Parts: sequence; C-alpha cells; structure tokens
Amino acid sequence: MTAAPYSRARRAALGLALPVAALAAWEISARFGTVPDYLIAPSLILATTWEMAVSGELWRHAADSLLRALGGYAIGAAAGVAMGLLAGIARPVERFYDPIVSLTYPVPKIVVLPILVAWLGAGDWSKIAVVTAAVFYPTFINSLYGAKGVNRLYVWSARNMGAGPLQVFWKVILPASLPQVLTGLRIALALAFIVAVAAELQFSRSGLGHLIGAAEDSLRFDLMYAAIVAIALIGFAGDRLLVALRRRALAGQALGKEGAHG
Amino acid sequence: MSGTTVPAGRPVAGAALLEVRDLAKTFRRGARTVAAIDRFSLTVGEGEFVAIVGPSGCGKSTFLHILGGFEAHDGGSMLLNGEPIAGTGPDRGMLFQEFALYPWRSVIGNVAWALEVQGRPKAERIAIAERYLRLVGLSAFRDAYPAELSGGMKQRVALARVLAFEPRILLMDEPFGALDAQTRELMQEELNAIWQQTRNTVLFVTHDIDEAIYLADRVIVFTARPGRLKDEIAIDLDRPRRIDVKKSAAYMSYRNRVWDSLRAEVLKAREEFQ
Repeated sequence: MTAAPYSRARRAALGLALPVAALAAWEISARFGTVPDYLIAPSLILATTWEMAVSGELWRHAADSLLRALGGYAIGAAAGVAMGLLAGIARPVERFYDPIVSLTYPVPKIVVLPILVAWLGAGDWSKIAVVTAAVFYPTFINSLYGAKGVNRLYVWSARNMGAGPLQVFWKVILPASLPQVLTGLRIALALAFIVAVAAELQFSRSGLGHLIGAAEDSLRFDLMYAAIVAIALIGFAGDRLLVALRRRALAGQALGKEGAHG
Repeated sequence: MSGTTVPAGRPVAGAALLEVRDLAKTFRRGARTVAAIDRFSLTVGEGEFVAIVGPSGCGKSTFLHILGGFEAHDGGSMLLNGEPIAGTGPDRGMLFQEFALYPWRSVIGNVAWALEVQGRPKAERIAIAERYLRLVGLSAFRDAYPAELSGGMKQRVALARVLAFEPRILLMDEPFGALDAQTRELMQEELNAIWQQTRNTVLFVTHDIDEAIYLADRVIVFTARPGRLKDEIAIDLDRPRRIDVKKSAAYMSYRNRVWDSLRAEVLKAREEFQ
C-alpha cells in the first residue's frame, strides 16, 4: 500500500503542533502562578499587542524598523548579488574580494555600530549602514558560488548559438545561478531584521528594538513581548513572500528535484 | 585485413567544406606537457557524414572542442568553407553528450532561444522551432520542461535546437553516450532517418564502432594519445540504411576491419592508465 499523501491541512497541523502546545502550557502555568513574573500569560501579551496596534504606537515603531532593515537589505543585497556574480565569472574580481571577505565575514557587523554612529549620527543611516554590511556577505558568497557552479556546457552551448558576453550573463549565468542567489537573499532577509533590531537596542529612540530595550528597563514585560511578536510576524511574512517568489522564479528548475518524471 | 583503406586526404565526393591541416594540441599538467593531438589532418565534404572512433582519452572530443572554438590549439590550420575558423560561432552546431538543455526553459523555449540569440523575429522563431520539434517527433512535448523528459527525448530536443539555427556543419560529441543501450539503438535509427531528410554535414565522435559504421559515410580511427590519424575507412553501404544492415555480411566485414584497427590502440590506452 502506498502512503496516503498528507493533505494541506494535515501538513499545516503538524507544523503548528509544537507552538500551540507550548503556548497552551505557558498560558496555563502563567495563570496558576507557577512561572516567574516576566513570563506573563500569552493572552495578556496579545491584549497589549492589540492595544498598541490600535493606538498606532506599534506601527510607528515597526515602520521605523522596517525602513532600516529593508533599506539596508536593498543596498547590501544589490551590492552582494552584483559583486558575487561578477566574482563568479571573473577570476580577478574573485581574487580581489577573497581576502577581504574571509577576514571580515566572521566579525559580527554590530560591533562597528559605534563607529558608524559617530560617523553617520544616531539616526536611520547608521542602522541602514550596519544592516547593509551584514547583508552583503551571505548574498555575495551565495551569488559567487552560484555563478561559479554554472554548468560549463550551458555557457558553451550559448556561445555556440552565437550569444555574446552580455547575453551569456543575463540569459545563462543569471538564471542558472538563481537558486543559490535566492538562498542567499533568504538568509540575508532574516539577518537584516536581526541586525536592525540589535542596532536599535543599542542606539535608538524608535523602532521595535528600542521598544524592547525601553520596556525591559521599565519592567513592562508585556510591551517587550508585544514588540517581539511584531518582529516575528514581520520576519515570517517576509520569509513567506520570498519563498513564494522563489517558487515562481524557479518553475522549471525545481521540477527535477521533486522527481516529476521517472 | 578486409575492407577498403582510403589514403588520408583523398578527394571527397562533395566540395570540401571542412579542411583541417596538421592540427596539434598539448595540455600543460603542472611542469610537464602532454600531447593530446599530433598533426591531425582531415577533409570533410559538403553533405558528408564522418565518424571518428578512438580509445577513451585519445583527444577525439578535444578535437571537436577545438573545432567548436571552445579550446585553443597549438598548431595547424582549420578552414570551414575556405574561411579560417576563429572563436565560437553558429556556423558549427555542437551537440553535447550531456544535452546542455536549459532547465529553466521549456522544450520550445530551448529550441527557440537559439534563434532569439541570432535576432530572428518572434513569430519566425516559434514557427521554425515547431518545425524542428516535429522533425524529431516531440511536438506533443513543446511546453514540457527538460526535467520532465527521458534522456533520449532530451537529446532529441538538443538535436532540434542545433538543427534549428542551420549550422554549416554539425559537431556531435558522443551524443548518445549518456543513454542506455536500447535507447541508444533507437536514437541511431532516428538520427539516420533525420539525416536522410536534412543531409547535414556531420562530424560524429563516438567510441561505439556499430554506431560509427551504421551512421557514417567514412570512419576515421584515432590512435591512443596523442591522437593521430590511424586509419580511414569508407563505408559503402546503400542509403537509406535500414537497421537490418547491421546483420549483413558487408557490415560485419567493416566491423572487423574497424575493430582490428582500433584494438591495438585501445590496448595501448589501457596500458597507459594502469
């Protein structure tokens, strides 16, 4: 007998099982007072989140964080993908970047934030700059290996048809590296939110990171959780959007991997 | 020895389309150099189907890559239709063993892209692509993706793609080498039938003697590395050739003739690898 395929609903249920169980356990123990004060009940967190959403405060902070995260993401990813693809097809470009990237990749980019603040001020630009730096690496490295790994025969075949260097780049190298470029973009998106919030925790008067820091200082744990929930939801929405985009962009390429034909 | 031996560089039936003179190629392996091809000469006439057989590693694929403009050479001259060959170009249509279809393009997209590269208008390239898909019997799969096709079907798409831009000469690099034995037999028949219609000039590299004799007008035997001309055998079997020809006495005698010539080279190549 062949295994019955999981229905959509059953697959979704499987993914929700752990979070729902954890939330239920949390809610029950918070109500009966068996956990410390800072683990306030999820229902209370939800109520606070709702309140702040209605008052507009949450949106204001979320908008500031989004501007910084996505601003840095756009600049860093554009540079990372462009340079990575270029390094993947041109050895001199790769040699130029290789030592710099190896040396600076392991350094947490957040440590340069004080320098950036001194340079660009405590406003949006220092945060955008630190996110840009963080996003560059995963997009650069994935694009580099995507372009380097392109099947040599794809390029030969195109040149055989009479394609010039630009046609080879746009119509062969780019689509052939796309799966790995998109992997880099997905890793980088989560990183953009992480670094933006971490930067706001240190030097900021607005944003979800600032909200968390301020709430902790004044022991308003409900506020802190509300901000964390907002970050998680934004990150989740961004990731789903990228996954959907990926599925559309890789229509033909994904086929083989799912074993469409024997 | 049975069969007919033809001296190298004999005048060929059609006008000479491809003329290779004293081609040489060496590879650098660290400090030492390895000769891959040594003073190889070949003339291919317009409309002629020439097969090259040789032991593995003898440089026969390298020869096609040089003709295609993908690899440099170290000596000798190559003329196509009287013009020196320089770089890559659509006058030499290349068919690879690994198909080299673009997985992100549909079947028709793969075939039509070759024409798009050459700046043909859209309606025209779709019409041409459809015509060549019909020729290889894959009209029903025009909107499928390569990942949905079998190996034999993929190579038929690649064949349609290369035929579609109408190269002066087809360079086939072990095109059926990645296929299973049965599919391979069927593909030989199919290519034979298609060639009967199109009459392209073909240079076909293979290590399969049967394939070479069944398809070609002339079989070239390469020596073990460095690749040199060992033998040249004209195949005077009637065309159109049916698959039954493989059972005929004439065919068997060609087979023995080619194998006698090739065997010593295969043994030499094996020694080198051990």
